[in-house]
Amino acid sequence: MGESAGDRGAQMTSMNQSWIGLVAILIVGVLALISLYMGFQNYGTDNQDIAYMYMLIGAAGFAAIGYMFFRTKAVTAQQKTDVTKVSVVTTLECPKCNLKRVRDFQRGDYVFKDDEPCTRCDGKMMITRIAQKKEEAGKKKPSEL
Amino acid sequence: MIPLVGQLLQQDSELGMIIQTIFSLAFIVYIFYAQRIQTLQMLRQVEITLRKVKSIRDEGRETAIKTINDLGKPGKDISAEVDRFMDHFVISPIDMDPAGVVGKLKQILDTREDVWEYEVKNVAPNASENERNNIENLLEASMALNIYYKVVRHYYLLGKKTMNIYVIMQIHMVLPLLMMEIEAYASALQAFQEGMPVGDSVGAIVAGKLMHGYPNKEVAKETVAAEVPFEGRTLIVLKARGPGGSVGEPGEAIKNILDKKKGKVKIIITVDAAGKLEGEAVGSVAEGVGAAIGGPGVDKYQMEETAKKYNVPLHAVAIKEGIEHVVSPLVDPLFDGVDKAVEAVKRTVLNYTQEGDTVLVAGIGNTVGVAQ
Repeated sequence: MGESAGDRGAQMTSMNQSWIGLVAILIVGVLALISLYMGFQNYGTDNQDIAYMYMLIGAAGFAAIGYMFFRTKAVTAQQKTDVTKVSVVTTLECPKCNLKRVRDFQRGDYVFKDDEPCTRCDGKMMITRIAQKKEEAGKKKPSEL
Repeated sequence: MIPLVGQLLQQDSELGMIIQTIFSLAFIVYIFYAQRIQTLQMLRQVEITLRKVKSIRDEGRETAIKTINDLGKPGKDISAEVDRFMDHFVISPIDMDPAGVVGKLKQILDTREDVWEYEVKNVAPNASENERNNIENLLEASMALNIYYKVVRHYYLLGKKTMNIYVIMQIHMVLPLLMMEIEAYASALQAFQEGMPVGDSVGAIVAGKLMHGYPNKEVAKETVAAEVPFEGRTLIVLKARGPGGSVGEPGEAIKNILDKKKGKVKIIITVDAAGKLEGEAVGSVAEGVGAAIGGPGVDKYQMEETAKKYNVPLHAVAIKEGIEHVVSPLVDPLFDGVDKAVEAVKRTVLNYTQEGDTVLVAGIGNTVGVAQ
């Protein structure tokens, strides 16, 4: 369980997509600016048609950037898996010799279940705790306030 | 490149003029369309969230169908039944004349419970009782996700239709809080699918720790109690019957026990999970008075009525947790909180009762993944 390679792959893809989007906006912006610059340079000269064309291309570039800020992306197959599963471990304790063992959770485990024979004595180990793995549970530092 | 950048600063250069023109245009557009731009931006954020909620809702539906197929082996396609079930609703009783409204609410909730039991049995005929309880909880989580999705979609479409900033603002302002609740329900899917204890199970674990090893019997529907000797006193410890997901009927159980004991109970102690404020530690324990129990209020009403009838003081122990913990698999600080709560219960018993007294201890909450 936990964060699978698939989840990580999906996150990487999503990050790559956002970077590609930003770079695309930047490129279109620069090209639109250059185009407007060329248009203004040609304006008032003999190349009036070329000036209009450049200005039109420049304006269209900025309009496209505006549109890109307001559009929403469709959810791709990779982005669909938002529900992440956490790793859960089961703690077993022997009431006789206090031997403690931690293993991955299995379906059918429940707290106070007499689960498996103790490896140290002839007692039966009981499930005392079913909880998320520590490193996943609390990464945030508590506030000092 | 450097001369080009230098040109930007010169007002009389062509590039400077272009930049100035663009800024002037942007300024004019902003003067006339600022609110519309803000509306569009908010709509876009709501739409992105809505897509996320839809994906979580779909995941919930698929998880429910998969679990029912795995555990219940229905031998037929149950998608249509699950879809029908996800739109199931409960109509609250009229409260214009509030006298007797709790009884009416109880009757409606009992009917709902019966309907759910029947429907789950119908779609998962081969599941055990515990598994059926877990499926019920799983369907409840999927249903909640479906409702969240439909509400967010409603405001989004309404906002898009009217393009009214105040309609869109209503949903936009609460989106972060809604997402916290939605993500909490999303993590419940794993817990109920696998039958793991959740944050709400802490009260049941406290009761389990006190009553484990002692014979128990059913005192109300899906609720068990055991008599436990402690320092010369008798503790009657009750909780919902586990390890299947159920909250039992603690209000009814307390009423039945006190009626049977003719009110000869010194104090009642309820132990439950309680919502923490930001800044409070997860698993911290607080003690107080009153009936520590959430839900629609029927059980709380019954507890208070019974306590008043027999003049029994109500003490409460609360284990603090965030909204993200309530229905997600337990975290270690909550288990540590359980040990602290057991100590708090014992201290309360020693402080407020004498030897020979009987004390009622009720572990409130969902007992998924917790036996007794």
